[in-house]
Amino acid sequence: MSDKYRWLKKIGGALARTGSKSTLPEPSGGKSALRIFCLGLTSFFLISLLLFSVRDAVAGGPAANDKVLALKGARILTSAGQNYDSGTIVIKSGKILEISENPRIPSGAEVIDLAGCLITPGLIDAHSHLGLGPSGGVTEDNEMSDPVTPQLRIIDSIHPEGVAPDKNQFRQAVAEGVTAVVVRPGSGNVIGGQSAVLKLRGGTVDNMCILFPADMKMALGRKGAYAQKGQMPMTKMGTAYLVRQAMLEAADYRTALEKYENEKKKNPATTIPPARDLKKEAMRLVLDRQIPVHIHVSQADDIMTAVRLAKEFGFSKLSLAHAEEGYKVAAELAREKVTVVVGPRMIVYDDDNRPVNLADYLHRHGVQICIMTDADVVQQPFLRSQAAIAVKYGLEAEEALRAITINPARLMGLEKSIGSLEPGKDADLVVWSGDLFDVREEALRVFIDGVEVYQSPRIAGGLNK
Amino acid sequence: MRRDEGQPPAGLFFKHFGGKMRKIRNSQLDLDYETDQKGIEADEDMMRSEVIRIKTPISGEGGGKKQGHHPGRNMNGDEGQAGDGVKLKTQVFLKGVGRAVATSSGLVLTAVLSMAVGLLTPGLLNVLNPELQAAGNSGNLSRDRSSQAGKPGVVVIKAGRILTMAGPPIEQGLIIVEGEKIKAVGKDLPIPEGAEIIDEPSAWVLPGLIDANSTLGLSDERGQSENEELSEPNVAQLEVLDGLNPFDRRIKQARSSGITAALVCPGRRSVIGGQAAVIRLKGQTVEEMKLLSPAGVKFSIGEGPKQAFGSKGRLPSTRMGNIYVIRQALLEAREYAGRWADYNKNLAAAKRGKKNAADIKPPSRDLRLEPLARVVTGELPALIECYRMDDISGAIRLVDEFKLKAVFIGCAEGYLLAEEISRRAIPVIVGPFGVGPKRTETEDVEISNAARLYKAGVKIALESEAEYGLAALEELPLIAALAVRGGLPEEEALKAITINAAEIIGVSQRIGSLEAGKDADLVIFSGHPLDYRTVVKKVMIAGLMGI
Repeated sequence: MSDKYRWLKKIGGALARTGSKSTLPEPSGGKSALRIFCLGLTSFFLISLLLFSVRDAVAGGPAANDKVLALKGARILTSAGQNYDSGTIVIKSGKILEISENPRIPSGAEVIDLAGCLITPGLIDAHSHLGLGPSGGVTEDNEMSDPVTPQLRIIDSIHPEGVAPDKNQFRQAVAEGVTAVVVRPGSGNVIGGQSAVLKLRGGTVDNMCILFPADMKMALGRKGAYAQKGQMPMTKMGTAYLVRQAMLEAADYRTALEKYENEKKKNPATTIPPARDLKKEAMRLVLDRQIPVHIHVSQADDIMTAVRLAKEFGFSKLSLAHAEEGYKVAAELAREKVTVVVGPRMIVYDDDNRPVNLADYLHRHGVQICIMTDADVVQQPFLRSQAAIAVKYGLEAEEALRAITINPARLMGLEKSIGSLEPGKDADLVVWSGDLFDVREEALRVFIDGVEVYQSPRIAGGLNK
Repeated sequence: MRRDEGQPPAGLFFKHFGGKMRKIRNSQLDLDYETDQKGIEADEDMMRSEVIRIKTPISGEGGGKKQGHHPGRNMNGDEGQAGDGVKLKTQVFLKGVGRAVATSSGLVLTAVLSMAVGLLTPGLLNVLNPELQAAGNSGNLSRDRSSQAGKPGVVVIKAGRILTMAGPPIEQGLIIVEGEKIKAVGKDLPIPEGAEIIDEPSAWVLPGLIDANSTLGLSDERGQSENEELSEPNVAQLEVLDGLNPFDRRIKQARSSGITAALVCPGRRSVIGGQAAVIRLKGQTVEEMKLLSPAGVKFSIGEGPKQAFGSKGRLPSTRMGNIYVIRQALLEAREYAGRWADYNKNLAAAKRGKKNAADIKPPSRDLRLEPLARVVTGELPALIECYRMDDISGAIRLVDEFKLKAVFIGCAEGYLLAEEISRRAIPVIVGPFGVGPKRTETEDVEISNAARLYKAGVKIALESEAEYGLAALEELPLIAALAVRGGLPEEEALKAITINAAEIIGVSQRIGSLEAGKDADLVIFSGHPLDYRTVVKKVMIAGLMGI
């Protein structure tokens, strides 16, 4: 059980089966030669298949080793305050060892001269549906049989390379500098399920996942699919009620469990535990403030409903997706310290059809922002052009970079390991041929945990800039 | 209000928009209710796409009266019978008088309305940038001071760099605009006396950008699409102008990003969707907006029609069915064209032979076959939307069989057949680049697609892709920048959204480059148009400056 499944330990075994331990049966002795031959052949195929896919899928690459790497002489935007016109980053064991204008480079280090290039932290998308199928087609992110499905785990739906017609999504994303993604259930349900944070390296969902459950995905506003069936929610009040009801049921469940624990102390032999309920267990994570809540909203009234629910149940942290009308309630969002993940629509139009650059507006009014693609509404590789649109219409470039690096890391509570370039942090970084917001420029090299997971054909062809 | 400082009273457009705005608010409530009644199919869509769909709650009655666009057009393509010339002139004259009256009464009205809007506008709203804010009330084109008197004003634009798209760039050049037309473009031109001077020493001026494939204007007052008449696979008889809503909010949005004209195509999912039109993004009536109609007949090959009809168990549910529907229609159209050709020949012969021409009866008219007949005779282009390699091949077979004058739209896998397309000199409106959700047929799109087609000698234009991605944003410069990333030279990328687009959609006589005699459609950019930091400072359409 790795640390990334941080809450699973606390809630018992049944939820905790996502670890990386192999489920294949151990080979037993006494096989016939044929069986051994077959097994050998199969293993050979499996291993070569594995090697092939690991090498080919972006996710692949050798594990971080102790080789020291120095990326020298590039312009560096760290997302951590201090930037460098010409700096060097020293990487060891997958971590950033040092970053400064002129660091001491350990002997034996591989030095890559990157004069004229730009280095930024690996980009992080705070809201995506990567690996869940094409929107408009068959998707794996909306379990439309029930509007309340907190028990669902997005990791059980993700295809680690992407399914047709988005079959190379992961690889394409890495080639545009995206190194980590928050993958979320869709917004078809009121409570959609549990999100996960993936690093785009590792080949399998379990290897890629760095945090699960990351938060609980909800969606306010109308849910037409259920209204169509004459089923709750047909109104916004119905939607809010379902959230409340789920929270109350989780509270009852907690009470029942506490009661059981007390009883058990008195009569260990005869006390029967209450039946486990995955739905309520999942909502308990929210109730116990173990995971934050991320809510899909569009209109100002729904935004305020989200704020109301957060206050009522004491959500540990609230973030909103889209929030197109967020500009109408920016002061409230700033006051309540709600993070808004802006996108895929970067420019919204007010009631008088005038453009509002939402990310910029919210930022200027003191709201913490992230920028998203909502992949594949905008495809995952285009995270930086989403930010570029915000910059074009007024957002400071440095804030735009923060909105796709350190801010998402902070939102997910991962700011100690990813999101900026600082000593001790994971060596997730991108070497760009120029300004990252200029789509005419490209990612030359992409590193995740110090491993080079992408190299531009320009580099591979020996045309180092 | 700051936004009103130094602004001349806005023209007719503003007056109208000012009135519209209040209604938008009122109808907002209905909007969502309606959205929810759309059914499960729509709702599934909503889960992902709701957020990017532009809602267009404009009250319905403002669509503008439509006069017949080409009354009584017959197979000869004549716009009317003898005597129409006189009628036409009278109409133009009356129109002029009407405009003058409307303008003068409009001035008072707009003054009042601009004050009202100014008061009602919440000051906290962020308009994209200060320059844009200063550039126009509510972002509408306003007539310049000098032209308010009714006579054509002369405007001189002094710009740091002019990309005419008809020759080398002009540094520190001048563009002289008189009325709706460009009078002259050059370096050291004499400035006419009394001309209004717009001095932009650091700006780049380009011809107005052209979105070579869009559905602008096809959202109704509730944001619902008006472009899919799916009752029959072949609806060639439809004219997209009849579904065009001049108050589609997206039109102003597109204009503010520098787009001044667009090809509007009906029927993404029909087999034969109807007659396309080129519009300029200015005006309250379709007549004012129309640059060219019909600009061609729209055909689709591939998943769109297959899914739209196949899902109902109707023809076509396969690609062969799709091509069959087109072939059958074109064959019938060929016969129809033949009947009219015979009739005209007989009529002419009768007249020469002094026989009684009344004895020769015209064939009965068929609105569906008329536009198709103009396609098979090569008079109108066939605008064929196709994405996958097999569908492009199918389109090429049709072009060969019927000797069509064709334009391909889409061609996501065009790079695989670049030589074939090039050999037939078929221009391609390239898209998408895969920014938005992919469909099965755009799965293998390459960012180098446009560049590879260009390198094979194909004339290309680009489309805004607002339909596919970019979250409904009309950002042609970003699309052009992506094409450059894919290997297209910058100059070609800029041509692909200006002059080449104009040539491909058949309006290069009027727009697409900055040359004397062409319409004064231009964009003033703060810098290099492909740089993400560059913003649109001003847009001029037909001599009217604004945003």
